[in-house]
Amino acid sequence: MSEKVEVLKTKEMQELEAKMTMLIQTGRIDNLIDLMALVSDNIEMTTSPMVEKMIGTVDNLATAGFITENAVRYAKRESTKNEVPSLFGILKLMGDKDTRKGLSFMLNLTKGIGKQL
Amino acid sequence: MKKKILIVGGGTAGTMTANNLAKKLMPEIDRDEVEITLISDSKYHYYKPGAMYVAFGKSEGYEFVRDQRALLMSEINFEVEKATQINTKSNFVKAQSGKKFEYDFLVLATGCEVAPDRIPGLSEAGDWFYTYEGATKLAKKFHDIKRGRILVTVNFPKTPNIPHQCGIAPVETTMMLHDFLTERGVRDDIEIVYTYPTVAQAVTNGLFMQEPTSNVLPSIFDSLGIKHQSGFTLSKVDPKKKVAISAEGEEIEFDILMSTPPFTATKFIRESGISEALDDEGWLPTDKQTLKVKGLDNVYTLGDTVDLPVSKAGGTVHNQTDVVADNIASELRHGYTSESYDGLVIAIAQMGLSCGMPLWYNYDKDVAPTPCSKLGSFVRKGFNKGIYWAAARGMV
Ligand SMILES: Cc1cc2nc3c(=O)[nH]c(=O)nc-3n(C[C@H](O)[C@H](O)[C@H](O)COP(=O)(O)OP(=O)(O)OC[C@H]3O[C@@H](n4cnc5c(N)ncnc54)[C@H](O)[C@@H]3O)c2cc1C
Repeated sequence: MSEKVEVLKTKEMQELEAKMTMLIQTGRIDNLIDLMALVSDNIEMTTSPMVEKMIGTVDNLATAGFITENAVRYAKRESTKNEVPSLFGILKLMGDKDTRKGLSFMLNLTKGIGKQL
Repeated sequence: MKKKILIVGGGTAGTMTANNLAKKLMPEIDRDEVEITLISDSKYHYYKPGAMYVAFGKSEGYEFVRDQRALLMSEINFEVEKATQINTKSNFVKAQSGKKFEYDFLVLATGCEVAPDRIPGLSEAGDWFYTYEGATKLAKKFHDIKRGRILVTVNFPKTPNIPHQCGIAPVETTMMLHDFLTERGVRDDIEIVYTYPTVAQAVTNGLFMQEPTSNVLPSIFDSLGIKHQSGFTLSKVDPKKKVAISAEGEEIEFDILMSTPPFTATKFIRESGISEALDDEGWLPTDKQTLKVKGLDNVYTLGDTVDLPVSKAGGTVHNQTDVVADNIASELRHGYTSESYDGLVIAIAQMGLSCGMPLWYNYDKDVAPTPCSKLGSFVRKGFNKGIYWAAARGMV
């Protein structure tokens, strides 16, 4: 004699079942399971030093972005505030400590690039 | 007249707030109507949670230090000055050098500091990972110990319902310690005893300051063979006998005492006369929604120096900073505040050397503990080594 077993399911479980059925019927489930396995494998294969090196690169990019963004904003503001400087005005600008700091940074940057060429 | 915003303290809170303010007030800065100045007593910025990793030899420490100037947008004036006095009637802060900084709006963000001297014997015989020097000392001890007992103690402020710095840190480091000693192959010969005081904010006789986490900790500790005990409020240490004595009258011997010592606000705040905290602890009376110092309409505070019941953590500051910045911007533009802090804290706890547990809570909801994961640990380590600096710069 067979017995009918009735499983009570919550509304959420029924919805989930309908969605899963659709994924299975359309054959998409195989790809999704492959994707989950791939993500899981990648987590397993990643190590702390890898994360730290990766994030170090992101940090370098963010730092470069921050410095550039600040400098561009500053330059834009100063250029709007002041008239286009004369030759003498440019020389005066060179007298400013921050200008010289920035300029020597740019020259060292050029040197750094040169070293790699 | 140009409005002056002064921020005191170049840590997590001060740096984030200065950058967020500069971003929000850029039109006013462009029109030369607003000036933002940050003063700090150090040329350097320390990412404090890094000290935890130093204690277990997983970092050297220098990775967590940057030039403060390099973290600030160029619109912000930065000066290395130690604030010593605040005059809220005439609206100025005086520095040790004698220099006076006037303000229209003031943000107090000088954090908190360890105060081990408040427990007799603790400075001589105890250790803590809350400073880089302390963590370096501990790293050597953790590396050398072959057998014995490592005792974990936690002290809370005497002012009611205020946490110590980074509430989850004692749990994190206890679990990191277990992993570290296992890695070293000496765990079987070393007993780890985690203790917690009788009163921990709203929880009594628990293992954590929030009920749900306190309830799950015994089974987690049991599974790792970590002994645990509540009702141990460290009140005295006998450095000669290496015995920790509790206010409840119990004595526990130790080989290493890894303590969460008492904390206070910094000296400058304690001596300001603004605080009403017990035992000269100095926490600033803070409006839990606007984040203004109570009774001072143009003074804001955030971070570790407040008297709010939320964690003294970077994951708290990250949610407070925009409230402060928005409110100041709104007051400048419209004359009223526009934002309100809901007590949100978001963090990823380092539950062992390679497991991370995301957590969040606010004034109304406690942390719902979830299992930690390897992925969680990667996110945490990514935050430590890179994302933090972007967050400090106001980029995330
Ligand atoms: C070991 C450890 C682990 C932690 N773990 C976590 C974690 O996992 N997650 C998390 O979210 N948080 C963690 N935290 C907490 C987090 O680091 C702090 O909550 C955060 O740094 C608070 O920011 P703050 O700006 O209020 O204080 P701080 O960052 O301490 O900054 C205070 C600043 O004020 C300056 N200052 C002090 N006095 C003066 C003065 N008189 N004049 C001028 N300047 C002054 C100081 O030099 C400093 O720059 C941890 C902390 C520690 C120590």
